[in-house]
Amino acid sequence: MFHTTFYLRRLHSLCGLLVLGMVLFEHIFTNSMAILGPQGLNTALEMMELIPKPIFMGLELGGIAIPLLFHGIYGIYIALQANTNSGNYAYVRNFNFSLQRWTAWFLVVFLIWHVGYLRFYVKGITGTPISFELLQNFFTNPIVVFLYILGMFAAIFHFCNGITTFCMTWGITKGPRSQNVISIISMLLCAAMCLITIVFMGSYFMY
Amino acid sequence: MAEKVRFIIERQDGPNDKPYTQEFDVDYRPGLNVVASLMEIQKNPVTVDGKKVPPVVWECNCLEKVCGACMMVINGKAQQACCALVDNLKQPIKLQPARTFPVIRDLLIDRTRMFEALKRIQGWVELDGSWENREAPIQNPYTATTAYEISRCMTCGCCLEACPNVGPQSDFIGPAPTVQAYLFNLHPLGKFDAPKRLNVLMEKGGITSCGNSQNCVEVCPKSIKLTTYLAQLNRDVNIQALKNIFNN
Repeated sequence: MFHTTFYLRRLHSLCGLLVLGMVLFEHIFTNSMAILGPQGLNTALEMMELIPKPIFMGLELGGIAIPLLFHGIYGIYIALQANTNSGNYAYVRNFNFSLQRWTAWFLVVFLIWHVGYLRFYVKGITGTPISFELLQNFFTNPIVVFLYILGMFAAIFHFCNGITTFCMTWGITKGPRSQNVISIISMLLCAAMCLITIVFMGSYFMY
Repeated sequence: MAEKVRFIIERQDGPNDKPYTQEFDVDYRPGLNVVASLMEIQKNPVTVDGKKVPPVVWECNCLEKVCGACMMVINGKAQQACCALVDNLKQPIKLQPARTFPVIRDLLIDRTRMFEALKRIQGWVELDGSWENREAPIQNPYTATTAYEISRCMTCGCCLEACPNVGPQSDFIGPAPTVQAYLFNLHPLGKFDAPKRLNVLMEKGGITSCGNSQNCVEVCPKSIKLTTYLAQLNRDVNIQALKNIFNN
């Protein structure tokens, strides 16, 4: 009587909100240092380099790689069980349900590109440290900029809508009023995070 | 000549046959609903091209939104045909069978899966006798109000048809049978089996398959607060999981 499905689902939920939510916040926090210019971002990136290598690798593996792979792979399995129908049933929550899955599919592709290129190829294989100048050069291609902004928006929406559904899944918000309140708060958070993203992405064109 | 109402009906001759559509015109009259229109088509099954065809098969019984039998997809939305007034529908009116369920013929579907799901969640109360009124276990009247609301579920299947997570691609038993587990967990005697029902809901295809699209509560013809009870059940299964882990 060990309910594997139940524990996997709950782990998927916790993993997405707490662990990957932290990863998203860390990304937004560090990247927003670009607003201060090359000096700002490079200092923040150098600060991270101060963390001893084995601990840093441990954090990357345990805090990002494993949770991300689990959330992504099990998430694909979950997304395949849905037959989105927001065309016929055009309610806000159902539209968010569809969007949660569409952003997920986009993120699978985007993250393979993002992690594969910047972490594995640039930082790992060529050994080039990530810097403001490197990213500025990377973002000279408008298609890359567009896809990165889209990737950030997708991740932010997926996370914020995840807060709303997390509260339902864990039975925290039960009635429609509390569910709506959380939904509004998380969508405001979504808007704020998207705005910060636009600002720090814009800073690559300011300096 | 009377005003006509055009119906586009998705038909299917047998469970394994290919679906096709036929169009019919029905004379308009005030208060006309979809079931009454289907009855008119049954009387004179002639398509708009003047072809005489076998009458359209569908299911209905009470004609007052109590039995659930006439659920079908009308203009893309699952609902009861008996209370779908032509005046409230965009024309031409498109009728389709609820394909979340196996189609037997035309608009007639097989709801067996819902009854199988009710068996799975133990949608009944185990009795070991009967009581005199004064000796019977007491039911909290406030709980009884909630229980009454959920007990009005007529197993029509609107919520299953509208749920994006119910269908051949998934093994989710659907909102209605899941919430019925809560109804029986509220019962003064049924609650003794609550851990059993919650453990069933934790299995594959149980409550964990709910994706919070909340279509169920939007389409429920009996206005049962399905999402509220699903959230309550989520709470209950989480507590049950803690009990399973730490009480053994």
